[in-house]
Amino acid sequence: MKACLSVTRRAVLSGVALAGAVLAAGLATALPASAQADYPNQPITLIVPFAPGGASDFAARLLQPRLSQILGQQIVVENRDGAAGNVGMDLAARAKPDGYTLFLGNVGTVSINPYIFSNLRVKPLQDFVPISIVADTPGLLIANPAFPPNNVKELVEYVKARPGQVNFASPGSGSVNRLEMEAFRREAGLDMIHVPYKGGAGPATADVMGGHVSLMFVTISSGINHVKGGRLKALGVSTKQRVPQLPDVPTMTEQGFPKSVSSSWQGVLAPAGTPQPIINKLHAAIVEAMKDPTIKERMGESGVIAVSSPTPADFKAYIEADAAKWSGVIKDIGVKAD
Amino acid sequence: MELFNDLLLGFSVALTPMNLAYGFLGVLLGTIIGVLPGLGPVATISILLPVTFALPAPAALIMLAGIYYGAQYGGSTTAILVNLPGESSSVVTAIDGYQMARKGQAGLALATAALCSFIAGTLATIVIAVAAPALAEVALDFGPADYFSLMLFGLVAAVILAHGSIVKAIGMILVGILLGTIGIDANTSVERFTFGIPSFGDGIDFAVIAMGMFGIGETISNLGGSEQSRTFVKEVKNLWPRWADIKRFIAPALRGTVLGGCLGLLPGGGPVLASFSTYALEKKLSKTPGEFGKGAIEGVAGPEAANNAAAQTAFIPMLTLGLPSSAVMALMIGALMMQGLSPGPQLMNQRPDLFWGLIASMWLGNLMLVILNLPLVGIWVKLLSVPYRMLYPAIMLFCCIGVYSIHNNALDVVLAAIFGGFGFLAKKLHCEPAPLLLGFILGPMIEETLRRALLISHGDPSVFVTRPISLSFLVLTFLLLIVLVAPMIRVTRQRAFEESTD
Repeated sequence: MKACLSVTRRAVLSGVALAGAVLAAGLATALPASAQADYPNQPITLIVPFAPGGASDFAARLLQPRLSQILGQQIVVENRDGAAGNVGMDLAARAKPDGYTLFLGNVGTVSINPYIFSNLRVKPLQDFVPISIVADTPGLLIANPAFPPNNVKELVEYVKARPGQVNFASPGSGSVNRLEMEAFRREAGLDMIHVPYKGGAGPATADVMGGHVSLMFVTISSGINHVKGGRLKALGVSTKQRVPQLPDVPTMTEQGFPKSVSSSWQGVLAPAGTPQPIINKLHAAIVEAMKDPTIKERMGESGVIAVSSPTPADFKAYIEADAAKWSGVIKDIGVKAD
Repeated sequence: MELFNDLLLGFSVALTPMNLAYGFLGVLLGTIIGVLPGLGPVATISILLPVTFALPAPAALIMLAGIYYGAQYGGSTTAILVNLPGESSSVVTAIDGYQMARKGQAGLALATAALCSFIAGTLATIVIAVAAPALAEVALDFGPADYFSLMLFGLVAAVILAHGSIVKAIGMILVGILLGTIGIDANTSVERFTFGIPSFGDGIDFAVIAMGMFGIGETISNLGGSEQSRTFVKEVKNLWPRWADIKRFIAPALRGTVLGGCLGLLPGGGPVLASFSTYALEKKLSKTPGEFGKGAIEGVAGPEAANNAAAQTAFIPMLTLGLPSSAVMALMIGALMMQGLSPGPQLMNQRPDLFWGLIASMWLGNLMLVILNLPLVGIWVKLLSVPYRMLYPAIMLFCCIGVYSIHNNALDVVLAAIFGGFGFLAKKLHCEPAPLLLGFILGPMIEETLRRALLISHGDPSVFVTRPISLSFLVLTFLLLIVLVAPMIRVTRQRAFEESTD
């Protein structure tokens, strides 16, 4: 009845974690030094701002067992989805900064949403302390197999000869995949029509597969199997080096677009104000966990690269550069939701 | 012969004691959690998904599939007994199922639902085994323009759902469409009617409205009635279907299976459209359409068969192409990825044990559910003899727990209460909740597919009539409108004549 136990455990533990967090916070003010020294002595909640089954949940669930083992405390993954991840992010930002509530941020919530949703209460760069990146998910430029161009050079010629006639899909107006395409399109000077979809990469990918829309950027994990199965073709990948799982797919950089380097990354952050010794301890644990061969292998199978930041400051610098890049693209194309 | 070997392989996987046990655990957990109002298959699977990560791949998938069917069964149980549809597809079951329960036929309604689901499940499993790859291609042919026309057809058909005034039904559909516009717009990321509350970003959850309009609204209006009207069951009769009942429900069940099986292939509204349109079809075919909405067994049999068939064929795009056609299927793909498997066209060849094992387990799961649920019918029915002063607070409590657990959000409970008040008001005004819910589901889809189709065609509306699939649905919509409007014209003319002869 192990299964039954874990069911109730999810609910019970989040309650316990909450109670624990409150208790620990109370203790922390009284005995700061010792509370930090024996951290963690309660289960830790990792808030994932997306539903189970998605890329963020995937990363969190892979990280969970090894990280729990290293820290000697159970990591409880809590999915708080809604409003493009803003619901979970808001909740995490307002949690007690005691190291017992962590946030699994990604490119969308941390680097893009603040510039799309102008009334967002959370300011990720101020409200969170970055700890470490955990997953680097490249973007893959996919097209219907019947779409004539077979590489980026042919694509540029093809679209230039047909301005405003080629459609590209995206999993949402403010999604990283749409911005990847917009950035590429502006650099190449291409005129294409954007067709946004809802509900993740699935529906958009299905329409590219069915030939209703010609091409799109997807996160590699959503497209790799269709490319391997021959239902879609890949024109380029947004990494600096080729991805080992798709050795025949050239990078955008190789094909003359060095600015098209991007990632749908996932990383662990803590609410601002979390004591530095706790951040350091968590950082060391995550770095250690990401060396786990199972995590590397599982992520690798879907084209995701298991990584960690050398120091929390490196992750902070990475996020700042990423946010600066995407906010620039957003300003250029003028997506704004007021 | 190859099919036979494949199925043999499938059953050899599904019938190992471990997989059988996990399959049973899945349907059991699914049924138990699915009975909680508000917790449909999506919520149930998201809660139980992490449990399966530690299992081997076939066991994990078999258990998840079991949870999925189980939750669907559980959802119809509450729909019939206490008018609480746990999932969008059981909204229709609530219409006539609950009325049957009030007439003392709760047992018959539950048994009919279970048997019809089993018939549909068995036939749909055969279809998947024989024709899954070919059918997946059909699903890919559906473009945004085709979806638009299909959804439009569904919306017009929603009018037939109403058994009262057509004007009121249209009014409720429009309210539903308006409610459906809440949330972040997919095309522009603009927040519509969210009042700056992040939780409104994805709109209101279907279950919140369904719980409020059906469950809470019903409870309030029952309390307003006389002591006698509050007792659910005066006398329990026909616990089991008799031969005459079976003869009545077999044809609707088969028609529901065909319609549901076809619509289930399509992403998005598949299963919902399946149960709604089957209900509309049965009402049109019936010699006694007046019975619908007052406890017609066909109104339970057809939709239950349809939603189960649709639930099953929804696996086809996922298994053969790796494409999720619903939130549940997206979760299944997530589960496969956690297992280190790549959902996609190659899955069938790489892991035939998994593919065929799952197909075999679909049928076994359905069989287990019938075996599990038929004896439970007696127990469920006894629940109804609990005095209302205990039953109603319990319903309210479970509603709140169910609604809260969807997103762990207290705001949803408050909203459900508000919709409860609205549901009560609507009931007093003789406005039915089912058309509102269909408008709520289909409205946003119609908007989305319309805008998408026009973006793809670069603003040219002729795409709706030049694509054969789209054109067919538009013609059907037109015919349906004539069928709907013709009797009204006749009645008005009759009235005009009566007045002139006076």
